[in-house]
Amino acid sequence: MRTSFQEELDVLESTLQEEGALVLRALRGALNALEQRDEELADEVIAFDDDVDRRYLEIEERIPSLLARQTPVATDLRLVLAILHVNLHLERMADYCVTIAKLAKLAPEVDPPARLIEGFEEMGSRCEEMIRVALDSLRDRNLEGAESLVELDELVDRANRRVVHHLLELGADPELREYGLRMVVISRALERIGDHAVDIGEQTAYLLTAEFREFTDASHPTPREA
Amino acid sequence: MTGTFTMAPVIDVAQARKEAEPVQREVVFDIKGLTVTYGRLTAISDVDLEVYRNVITAVIGPSGCGKSTFIRCLNRMNDLVPGARIDGRIMYHDEDLYGPGVDPVEVRRRIGMVFQKANPFPKSIYDNVAWGPRVLGMKKDLDERVEKALHDAALWDDVKDRLKKNALALSGGQQQRLCIARAIAVEPDVLLLDEPASALDPIATSAIEELMHELKRDYTLVIVTHNMQQAARVADLTAFFSLEVDDSRRTGVLVEYDLTEKIFTNPSDKRTEDYVTGRFG
Repeated sequence: MRTSFQEELDVLESTLQEEGALVLRALRGALNALEQRDEELADEVIAFDDDVDRRYLEIEERIPSLLARQTPVATDLRLVLAILHVNLHLERMADYCVTIAKLAKLAPEVDPPARLIEGFEEMGSRCEEMIRVALDSLRDRNLEGAESLVELDELVDRANRRVVHHLLELGADPELREYGLRMVVISRALERIGDHAVDIGEQTAYLLTAEFREFTDASHPTPREA
Repeated sequence: MTGTFTMAPVIDVAQARKEAEPVQREVVFDIKGLTVTYGRLTAISDVDLEVYRNVITAVIGPSGCGKSTFIRCLNRMNDLVPGARIDGRIMYHDEDLYGPGVDPVEVRRRIGMVFQKANPFPKSIYDNVAWGPRVLGMKKDLDERVEKALHDAALWDDVKDRLKKNALALSGGQQQRLCIARAIAVEPDVLLLDEPASALDPIATSAIEELMHELKRDYTLVIVTHNMQQAARVADLTAFFSLEVDDSRRTGVLVEYDLTEKIFTNPSDKRTEDYVTGRFG
């Protein structure tokens, strides 16, 4: 039994889970800053990204060293490769949270329509749910959980379309139009967070089945058969 | 076990789902139900395996799992061990290797062996390589034969100016390549390598591994190795042997035999997974 190697793998995985928990916090902060038009909170979310980046870099640095020294194979190799990918997905999600926080700061003059805020809240809480499912499925080695992310993402995509629809109804006032464009970017950021959660699910499926497949593919609208 | 293996990895990418064409491989050894006993001890039990032409097959497994016993059966080296008994069947190019009328000396000419410890004769480099052909009456163009064998063993450039010097003056890695040259000088069909690099430093080891890649164009290679990464680097196919303990009796069994890539990324058997990931024992 290679105890120290197993410990290193455990540290990598727990650092990744920590990073995931930080992403959840960043997302909640960004949503609250947006809904409550809280500039201070938005700044906190932006600064908080460094904490996520620290975990990201730590994992990035540990993996080449682990590969060089321990030459993992079989399940161990797949786990290391999955962590490498998931790490990047989480870091991207955190970047989207920063984008949302920055745009939230830019839009305080306009009183946002209630329906829009509700739309963002729906998208945001669905994204939070997806991140939790993605992280738990990876931790519990749960293939069914990982695959369920496709359906959850469909709900985010639908909410995204509804939000865009509300934005189109804002009217022709140039100020409102500019506001609307910023809100489209926020909606898009949330939609992308959902996509990254699906990608994490794909990595879990790879870890468990040793076969990489995309759950969905933009150029092939229906989910692929395994 | 059929003679068909998909030799290229199947990569499943979004756009191109190309499956590699299965390659029909010529079977060199067809082994069925091979059991080897030394007195009351069963070294390996009921091994079924096919070895394919121009392919490097690695045999891995923990100490005592019968890896060496297994490859020694392939050129009847176990005949020389008192009390050894071989059951089952080894067909070599469709001929029973242990059948009546089969000359073990001819078997060992066609199926050469290289051992863990380089064992050159205390003679000149030239005589070491020329010895086999001389004994077998292959005396025509002996100089060319020696030169070709040394070339093929990637040793010619190192020794061409000192062919008459004593072979024991060569480095360990060179001595091992000399043993390979000696083995291929008699134009064998198969080369069996039993831990050929375990006594060598990393540079000499990588020279032997490179050489194996070259040699598989002309020969069929079977290598026993303790070093799993070596198997992963050089072998096309890998056989994993393990120990089965029953009533405190330990017997070597073949657990899994597949493409090397499969063995090291997604082995089918839990015992293989535990061994290659270092969780064995």
